[in-house]
Amino acid sequence: MQDALIVLVHGAGIGAVFALIGMSFNVVFNSSGILNFAQGNMLVLGGLFAFLVLPSSPGIGPWFVFLPASALLMAALLAVQGYLTLLPLRSSVEQHSWLITTLAASVIIGAVLLIFQGTAQQTVRSPFPSFWFLGTRVPAPYALSLLLALVWFGLLRWFHTRALTGLAISAIAQDLDAARAAGIRVHRLQILAFAISGLIVGSAGFVAAPVIAIANDSGVSYVLHGFVAAVIGGLGSDLGALVGGLLVGMISMYAAYTYGGEFQDAVSLALLVAVLMGRPEGLFGRPAARRV
Amino acid sequence: MARWQLVLGILGVAISIVLPALLGSAYWAHNFLVVNLFVTVAVMQNMLLADAGQVSFGQGALFGLAATTTGIVTGLWGYGYGAGFVAGIAAALVLGLLFALPALRVQGYYLGFVTLSAAVVFPQLLVAFDSLTNGINGITVSLPGLTQAGRAGLSWTSLLVMATTIAALLGHAALRGTGTGRRMRVASVSPEAAMTLGIAPGRLRFLAFTLAALGTGIAGALYVPVLGFVSPYAFRVDLSIFFFFSVIVGGSGELAGPVIGVWILYLVPNAILAQLSVYRLLAYGMVALLIMLAFPDGVVGSVVKALRRRQMRAQIAPIDLAAVLQDENAQARNTAAPTAAAAITVQGARKRFDRLLALSDVDLTVAAGRVHGLVGPNGSGKTTLLNVISGLIRLDGGEVRLHGAVSSRLPAHRLAALGLGRTFQTPRVFEDMSIWQNLEIGADLRGTRNHWLLHALQRFRPAWTGNRPDLLAHAQRRVLETLRMVATDADILLLDEPAAGLSAEERRDFATLIRFLRDRLGKTILLVEHDLHLVWRVADRISVLDAGQIVAEGAPAEIADNPRVRALFTGAADAAGR
Repeated sequence: MQDALIVLVHGAGIGAVFALIGMSFNVVFNSSGILNFAQGNMLVLGGLFAFLVLPSSPGIGPWFVFLPASALLMAALLAVQGYLTLLPLRSSVEQHSWLITTLAASVIIGAVLLIFQGTAQQTVRSPFPSFWFLGTRVPAPYALSLLLALVWFGLLRWFHTRALTGLAISAIAQDLDAARAAGIRVHRLQILAFAISGLIVGSAGFVAAPVIAIANDSGVSYVLHGFVAAVIGGLGSDLGALVGGLLVGMISMYAAYTYGGEFQDAVSLALLVAVLMGRPEGLFGRPAARRV
Repeated sequence: MARWQLVLGILGVAISIVLPALLGSAYWAHNFLVVNLFVTVAVMQNMLLADAGQVSFGQGALFGLAATTTGIVTGLWGYGYGAGFVAGIAAALVLGLLFALPALRVQGYYLGFVTLSAAVVFPQLLVAFDSLTNGINGITVSLPGLTQAGRAGLSWTSLLVMATTIAALLGHAALRGTGTGRRMRVASVSPEAAMTLGIAPGRLRFLAFTLAALGTGIAGALYVPVLGFVSPYAFRVDLSIFFFFSVIVGGSGELAGPVIGVWILYLVPNAILAQLSVYRLLAYGMVALLIMLAFPDGVVGSVVKALRRRQMRAQIAPIDLAAVLQDENAQARNTAAPTAAAAITVQGARKRFDRLLALSDVDLTVAAGRVHGLVGPNGSGKTTLLNVISGLIRLDGGEVRLHGAVSSRLPAHRLAALGLGRTFQTPRVFEDMSIWQNLEIGADLRGTRNHWLLHALQRFRPAWTGNRPDLLAHAQRRVLETLRMVATDADILLLDEPAAGLSAEERRDFATLIRFLRDRLGKTILLVEHDLHLVWRVADRISVLDAGQIVAEGAPAEIADNPRVRALFTGAADAAGR
């Protein structure tokens, strides 16, 4: 019983990180149909920022100052990446260049991390003490990640349904040509969407820094888990990413707890294949009328 | 065009293996053996990506599985290398088929993520099952008989590697010349159009993954004598990404692309940055990114494109529809006399998309050898009905019969084989193939090059062979798509808004083509069209669809007076010439 609670609580915590990656996927995907393979390494960079700026026993004050800084920094970086990714798409008929450019961006970030810090994994300490919940000790970053995921879910929901810019992005998602004809500046909004996804992973990486692996080769694992979360929930649906993320977190934590950490990714892969074979549109996605 | 690339590729492979051996440079001889193994894998990836349209980021896992299996069987269990070789290839084939399974359901980035996950998980599992694989300690395999240098400094291993890589290049080129290779490319460009040409895309994807696994497996099994050591670290996700990038950097779809791509991505970091191995990853990430930004078609692809552009300007031979229609050979061909029997019968067809009821209880009968017009406002369900009849969409209720036999449970490619053809709103012509090859794709369905239409059009062949349809005007593409459908010998033709985007004169020509198909060739035609003038001019009968229901049906003259029709189209009476 105690074990189950640990798995559940820790799984929900790390699952919130997956959910955040999934939501950051959705923002870009909805505006441009692009899935950013570099999103996992971007999360790691957010964590690295925390490692670089926070002292070994950080206070709460600096933490609150650097949290928005991390988000903004990653937003700027992703805007640049988004600009580069969209560049070949504007002129070429080859519409799959983003598969390569985003993967290349991911490889480059991993390579830079390798050059500057080798294969070492950095550790960050949280300024918040862990607390007891239902008889288990919960590290604060898990709870904060969950809180952050809920906050971003609410913000995105408001943004997509109330804010004018968000509505314009929703319009792009539904019909690109119609949106363009209506005078929406598609290119600019797509870069904005990249920047927003940067805000999400930048803040997520910073908040979850003490509980994620900040290393040169851990980004791929995060991007995969984020993708599994988004697919289980239904690509494009933030509610789906939230639910999917928590689900993936708990299931992979259970796998790690029962079979050992080396099987964590394998179980997520099995989960992904199972969902794609059974219900490719995900839990909250809708099968679309096919255009022929 | 493709031949010089093949020669270039084969020369590159042969020289890169023979020259270092002759010069006695062990370092370069070894490096180029690895390079050529990687070229083999990249050639397979190129075929998978460009010919079959399958995004796999996991080919490194196939390579690693073959190598590890060979290592286990030979190095740990003590069997001969032959047994290990076979076991390695078998293992790669099994994993290749596992990759193909999700490809039946999902495509594009979904498949990319699944295979990428497999590439991430694979080395983890090698470590996890260390009792079988020796884990991080790896397996040392000594095969002196294979690796000792013989005549001219070449070992058996280097000869095997050379033969394998050259065979991969030749195999890829040969596949393109076959009907199977052509169908593979068609299925990759447009699965829907492929199905209506009688091609089953899923089967071709399976074939492509199997072929790729075979080639990759052989390369993986040869990796063991080349390196003499296998460990999980060699087969991390980076390796899979390396193979994919090599194809892109060289030029996706170009025969020599993988050779150039692997050389650039492997040799540049290893030769220049040999001492600084940490920079290797950065180098190939940067090279891939820059190539994609500067030359989206890759190195070889950009050269080919520039050459082609210069050549093509000179020779654009349009399709002369009038000449085609007047051709006696084509005229002599009237396959079937019109009968009273119905060619298409739709009964109680129902289809719902989420909250939208696209078809509600549609009944439709199309007489054989007639032109039946289907009109109605946008969103009334016309295209859905065509998709249902051609088998691209499953009905929720009701049924479709072709010549009396229930067809609504059959997949699109089976219906095409039974004689159902269709065109699409935007013409689906295959731009990587010549105009003539586009026609041959149609005739492929009947398994013969000896098709009467190809015979009839033989005198156009020279002009249409060097010519690619990406330079054709819209109306010409439309005609080409229609002729391709005729080449399938379909007797029931479904045309989806064929007049859209055509000028007044082109529309008149197209009307002539429709009548020709009916009167001379005896085809049954279901025509979905917004141009009411055209419909009223050529159709024998007209059905009006509105909000998923047939609201009127009859001969053109009677239906023009129907008040419900008038309400829908103010121009209908005018179109009937009153």
